[in-house]
Amino acid sequence: MRHRLLACIAIVAAAVSSARAQQVQPEIFTLDNGMKFLLYPRTEQPNIIAAGWVAKVGSANERPGITGISHFFEHMMFKGTNTIGTSDPARDAQFRSEQDRLRRELLTLQLSEQYQRYKDGEITDPWDPAQDTEQMRAIRAQLDQSIQAEREVTVKNEFDRVYTSEGASGMNAFTNNDMTFYFINVPSNKLELWAWMESDRLYDSVFREFYAERDVVHEERRMRTESTPTGIFQEQFESMFWMSHPYNWPVIGWPSDLNSYTMEDAQNYFDTYYRPNNIVGVIVGDFDPAQAKSLINTYFGRLERGPEPPKVVTLEHKQQAEMRMNAECDCQPQVEVRYHTVPFGHADEAALTVMSELLNGRTGRLYKNLVEGKEIASSAFAQNNNMKYAGYFAFSAETKGDAAPIDLERAWYEELKKLQNELVSDRELQKVKNQSAADVYRSLQNNFFIMLQLGYYEAQGGWEYINNMPRAIQAVTADDVQRVANAYFSETNRAVATFNRKAGSTEDPDFAAMKAALPAEMAAMAPMIKQQIESQLASASLDELMQAQAETQAQMAQMPAEMKPVMEFALKKIAQRIAELKAAENN
Amino acid sequence: MNRIQTCTITAALVMAAASSTLLAKAGIPPRPEQIKFAELAFEPPMSEDYRHEINVDGATVPVYMAPSHEFPLVSISFSFKGGAYLEPADKVGLASMTGQMMRRGGTESVSPTDMDELFDFYAANAGTFVGSTQAGASLNSLTSNLDQTFALFMDMVRNPGFDQKKIDLYKSEAIEGMKQRNDDANAIASREWDAIMWGRDHFEARVTTETTLNNITRDDLIAFHDKLFNPNNLIISVTGDFEPSEMSARLEKALSGWASGQRMPDPPAPTHELEPGVYHVEKDVPQGKVTFGHRGLKRDDPDAIPVAIMNDILGGGGFTSRIMNRVRSDEGLAYGAGSFFASKVWYPGEFGVTYASKSATVPYALRVAMEEINKMRTEPVTEEELMTAKNQAIETFPRTFESKDGMLSVFVGDEWTNRDPSYWTTYRDKVRAVSQDDVLRVARQYLDPANVAILIVGKWEDIYKGNTEIAADPSKVTTMADFFDGHAEELPLRDPLTQKPLPKN
Repeated sequence: MRHRLLACIAIVAAAVSSARAQQVQPEIFTLDNGMKFLLYPRTEQPNIIAAGWVAKVGSANERPGITGISHFFEHMMFKGTNTIGTSDPARDAQFRSEQDRLRRELLTLQLSEQYQRYKDGEITDPWDPAQDTEQMRAIRAQLDQSIQAEREVTVKNEFDRVYTSEGASGMNAFTNNDMTFYFINVPSNKLELWAWMESDRLYDSVFREFYAERDVVHEERRMRTESTPTGIFQEQFESMFWMSHPYNWPVIGWPSDLNSYTMEDAQNYFDTYYRPNNIVGVIVGDFDPAQAKSLINTYFGRLERGPEPPKVVTLEHKQQAEMRMNAECDCQPQVEVRYHTVPFGHADEAALTVMSELLNGRTGRLYKNLVEGKEIASSAFAQNNNMKYAGYFAFSAETKGDAAPIDLERAWYEELKKLQNELVSDRELQKVKNQSAADVYRSLQNNFFIMLQLGYYEAQGGWEYINNMPRAIQAVTADDVQRVANAYFSETNRAVATFNRKAGSTEDPDFAAMKAALPAEMAAMAPMIKQQIESQLASASLDELMQAQAETQAQMAQMPAEMKPVMEFALKKIAQRIAELKAAENN
Repeated sequence: MNRIQTCTITAALVMAAASSTLLAKAGIPPRPEQIKFAELAFEPPMSEDYRHEINVDGATVPVYMAPSHEFPLVSISFSFKGGAYLEPADKVGLASMTGQMMRRGGTESVSPTDMDELFDFYAANAGTFVGSTQAGASLNSLTSNLDQTFALFMDMVRNPGFDQKKIDLYKSEAIEGMKQRNDDANAIASREWDAIMWGRDHFEARVTTETTLNNITRDDLIAFHDKLFNPNNLIISVTGDFEPSEMSARLEKALSGWASGQRMPDPPAPTHELEPGVYHVEKDVPQGKVTFGHRGLKRDDPDAIPVAIMNDILGGGGFTSRIMNRVRSDEGLAYGAGSFFASKVWYPGEFGVTYASKSATVPYALRVAMEEINKMRTEPVTEEELMTAKNQAIETFPRTFESKDGMLSVFVGDEWTNRDPSYWTTYRDKVRAVSQDDVLRVARQYLDPANVAILIVGKWEDIYKGNTEIAADPSKVTTMADFFDGHAEELPLRDPLTQKPLPKN
């Protein structure tokens, strides 16, 4: 069987590799104000246009004190303008300046009195409203009143309503370390609506509900970071991994900063980064480019070019020693091993991507060796992530059965050693290239996804990546993979996070298995049995344990069926204890 | 103001087309509603234009085909009726395991490793699944090697090997998955909500345990596969780079000799009655995860369209809906909040509201959401709200058919569930006909705030006392004592492997 299979693979290999990466050639249209547009008409999906624009600003452009402002901004951009979102722009502006004044008063007290009380140990959280002083409470009540009063002239979520009632869908945005991206799908006869709405909010943006919206962002932080099994630890790991680069603060921002920025900070930020010369528009789908260019001229031509935004100066400092973090959480025990690599567009990016693909998938090395072979992982992945200013390569895996994060970590180093010492086979390399070629087609079948890719790559460094990267992957050799495996994966260039299940957060699975298997009348005795076995094992020597293991196994056959679960449990615990003691001996 | 001037001057100086720019600029309407749009004519595609049939030893198999030659890829999808409702109660997990093991367990003549290697090397995506009410197998392959990948795909669908080693591996992985059941508050909420809604014995809420998993044998998988995966229980759809006549011939040949079996029965309706009240599960997270609601209606109910419009205004329409507006935008109580009317084909579905809020504001957000439901039942919606919801439904309607894969999956789903073929041709007219009175009538008929079940996962002690300590405005103070007279039933956290209640810490 195998022989026939491989023969037929060899024949097809040529056919697959000759399937060339599809070329995407958008028309480039740049306005005098510097705003660049990528126009890509496509008729396969009729009646619909995916449109978006990306501002080349993300959390990496922030500084301590205003972390999270890029993301907060994204929220603000949906609040409208002097036309959209208010019935009385003049009164609305009055409310905003009143709230700004009150909020500054409050902020001054928070940063002086409350921070002092916090430093003195008088209060536990200077930002907790329950720990406010009387004076602060009074200001907060006034602020609340003003926010309530502003509602009379606010037309709630009008921005969304205009789009929705015209049949636009999927309106959203995201912020990451490097960019802020706003996108939507509109019916093919309504491109002008998109041009109207988007140019209006770039031309005439107001920061409405500036203070109420922070509570929403706090809730978002609670939901995404604080209420997920590993969120707060992932945040800490990121912060540890990036030593000097601004990637080391979270995109959503540190909670103290989230409370602190003022409208002035926001306006400065807008004026610096939301200029047409720092923004790229992308339109993909069922449209006429000539008509689109005329609309773009009309609507986006009115935006004023700004000075070149400041560059991100700080480079990631070269790591000098291994970094480690050990977390306890309500989660499957797991590990992440991460290495500093290269930014987007670097010459080694393709080889690192191929390396990660060799490791991933059902026939990838990690699944074959860690999930199937050693049976120590329930899942294992490699990830090559090249961001605008710096990149990393990560191995991550979750444990299976009795395996510990340390076992996964060791298994990874073995896999790494193989990649460093041995060339990958032609067949393995060809498999990755075949998949890459086919996946390029798959990634170009949907307007919205094409729009996202073009904008994303353009913000990272150049949309041409959509064509260049597939070609670069086809050109990677086995030597290239071996070279990058040796270049970036040293011990002093890695950070390791291990996650162990918090004690008591769930039962020992072996114990649960025993309890489930015991007859109902005996299940109640299970905790006592467990305690007895564990206390005996704790004091036993390695020799005694080996002897006990042999004896228990010998007795298995004669035991009544209902006692079997207990014996099995005991055997598992003995085996675990033996492994622990042996491991201790070896160290 | 200054901005316009600078920009105009720059444009006039630099651009040859300055005059057209100026003209166009003058042409920006003051409000978006004043833009004149060209007509967009759209008629929904008719399923019969895509429907073919092939004959397989006496069985007739419907085949939907929609070719397109943009990329050298072919996508073939087999859909079978049936799912988890067909598995015995002591073997919960059998359906899903059969679906996974068809892809992972090799065939009678090809080892699992060879199968994986072949699909991967040919860069084909192949998959099989058995869900709660539907099963399927799909192949996405480059046209150039369709002969090889399709042959292997058919072997997988007809003659799965269910390799015992892979079964053991699957079971041990499933156990690892179970261990994480209580890690995420959302997962707990979703499981307990299903139990409250459908009853723990109904297939919608049943949970695989270590015991039911271990009860499943290789023979069970073979028997379950043989029952579901037969040509009498099959509808095929194909998109991508192919010619329909050639594809029909290919399919007929590939399916010949496949023993035909029975078409599967419809899923059973639940017998459980929802018990109104407050339920809570203890979990140490800073936010309470809230779901509340009651039974909804059937998909083909004549009121389904007015109910969908009503729900869109209440909480289904994202930022344009009332619950989102008040809970998120006005009060900043949650990142997301909304309602859903999830209809079911075979029996009434569910209505629910969900949000996550910091512990102290869980009761106040609940009060706000309840107020909105009550308002929906007592006052007509505004003409503007109604128009927004109706326009949205009408204008986004073409999207249902925008991709060929999406269009065919609608047709296949409709054939399985006997949807009236006129549903799509009359859909927009039915939406247009919904009036303010209709919305009020269905809100009164289908929303029943006095009889909701409320499920909260979080730190109950903090949640119960509500915003007493932090509310700046005393009229907003709300605690859980304000609902169901403060009565609440604690649901125990369940052992991840056995689903037996865990003792309290």
